[in-house]
Amino acid sequence: MYWLSGGFVFRKVISPFHRLDPRAKLLVSMEFFVLSLLSSTVVEVILILVAILLVATVAKSLRRIARTIAFSGLFAVFIFAINFLFGLGLLNALLYSVRFLAIISSTSVFFVTTSPDELEQIMKWMRVPRDVVFAFVTAVRFIPVVMLDAFQIMDAQKSRGLEFEKGNVLKRVRNLVPILIPLVVNSVIRSGELAEAMESRAYGSTPKPTSLYGMRLRWYDVAVAVPSLLLVSAVALVVVFHVTLYI
Amino acid sequence: MTLIEFRNVSFVHQTGVTALTDVSLSIGKGETVAIVGENGAGKTTLVRHINGLLKPTKGSVLVEGKDTRETTTATLSRKVGIAFQNPDHQLFSESVENEVRFAMKNFGFGEDLIAQRLDWTLKFFGLDQYRKSSPLVLSGGEKKRLTLACILAWDPDVVVLDEPTVGQDALQKEKLGQIFKLLQSTGKTIIIVSHDVEFLWPIQPRLVVMSGGKVVADGQISQIMGNRELLEGARVTQPQLLRLYQGLASRPATPFLDVLEARDWIGGRKQKPEAR
Ligand SMILES: Nc1ncnc2c1ncn2[C@@H]1O[C@H](COP(=O)(O)OP(=O)(O)OP(=O)(O)O)[C@@H](O)[C@H]1O
Ligand SMILES: [Mg+2]
Repeated sequence: MYWLSGGFVFRKVISPFHRLDPRAKLLVSMEFFVLSLLSSTVVEVILILVAILLVATVAKSLRRIARTIAFSGLFAVFIFAINFLFGLGLLNALLYSVRFLAIISSTSVFFVTTSPDELEQIMKWMRVPRDVVFAFVTAVRFIPVVMLDAFQIMDAQKSRGLEFEKGNVLKRVRNLVPILIPLVVNSVIRSGELAEAMESRAYGSTPKPTSLYGMRLRWYDVAVAVPSLLLVSAVALVVVFHVTLYI
Repeated sequence: MTLIEFRNVSFVHQTGVTALTDVSLSIGKGETVAIVGENGAGKTTLVRHINGLLKPTKGSVLVEGKDTRETTTATLSRKVGIAFQNPDHQLFSESVENEVRFAMKNFGFGEDLIAQRLDWTLKFFGLDQYRKSSPLVLSGGEKKRLTLACILAWDPDVVVLDEPTVGQDALQKEKLGQIFKLLQSTGKTIIIVSHDVEFLWPIQPRLVVMSGGKVVADGQISQIMGNRELLEGARVTQPQLLRLYQGLASRPATPFLDVLEARDWIGGRKQKPEAR
């Protein structure tokens, strides 16, 4: 569980990819996303997946992306099975399941390499309302905390003789009650406390607060963003719109 | 008789943090052991090994001679009751009484026994008036006490309490002290993790000092508490009564365990007529 959950949570790493402006990271991630949607053969999707893994290697996050893939692999198998059973053919079923993996890992690349702070900056840059930005960023930031809570609650209940893996389906669902209630209660309490603490620190008292950090595009970011955009556009034109190049 | 044994235990958390390094410790039946040490010293991590919630990365933990890897936490918990630091991580029932019943039901106790133990525990912990209330509306200290009640209700042989005194008022702390005496007299093995040396001092437990994931001292509390340098490293302060005792020019053979004892001694020594 813990191992799998690492696939979407930011961890601080120093790498050439992490150093990019968050907008450039978003762009790269979106490019992969779009390419995965546009791809129409298994070979293409696999190429895209390999490219994503290359980027993950540069970002020193190959393992974490691999976790994402391992996790979504279960769903991919499911997608494959459904499509195959409904007579879409082996190749199409394979295409859909691998495409699903590519889509998931393309978004994972962004979330694994972008800190909550950078996420906040991006959303502000997109002119998302401040309260929405705050709510979203806080939610992202609290994912690891809530996960840790869940593990500690499970431990406490196991220590009181609760056996999750025992009994029929109904019993197992009922076994979740002692976990879910404290988890939800804790989260509600925590959000209430957070709101009070934020207000005590003058959240929302000025309509336009200043920021300590801002985003600045450097040559390094442009040097990654522009060629990648050109490359992806070219690929899209060739693959989707069948524009043939006469050189 | 050795009940719990740590053999060269090391533990690395999944995040890569090394929380325990080569810990060896054996705890006999009926012993009272206090574990102290700075925040992050690895006390909670150590204690989680006793009922098999955590399995050592290296080395082994034996409970009654059996490796914790070979049993389940549910089985071990029947013998080892652990009350954790944060009560909000376990309270979930709609009423205080059901909260206490939960574990006993899991262990398959009969209804009569459950009712009997429930009554005893709630009265003993001063929670009787909250029987039907939701555990979530209790105060912080009451919640903490309820978690202790939940553990003692099923009468485990080993009682492990992680920071039991946090948030307790003076009366409740004193009661907690009495509970320990009672548990000691019934032959229970008690393990207390605590930063509260003033609370531990009168209980006179065996003291295990941890620092940076290692056991740095293990012995009688009155001896270890004399070693200032060691205590500083683990960020533990000496109990006031011991400091007073050490500061006296002439003093009794053993340190004072409570203030009255100290007052009588000092008063007697000075042999001054009391001012009226
Ligand atoms: N679930 C966890 N995942 C990762 N690291 C952890 C986890 N729990 C504890 N740690 C780390 O292990 C080390 C020991 O923690 P532990 O909780 O055992 O300390 P402690 O002695 O109980 O401290 P305290 O006095 O604050 O309760 C710390 O460095 C902590 O950050
Ligand atoms: Mg602790």
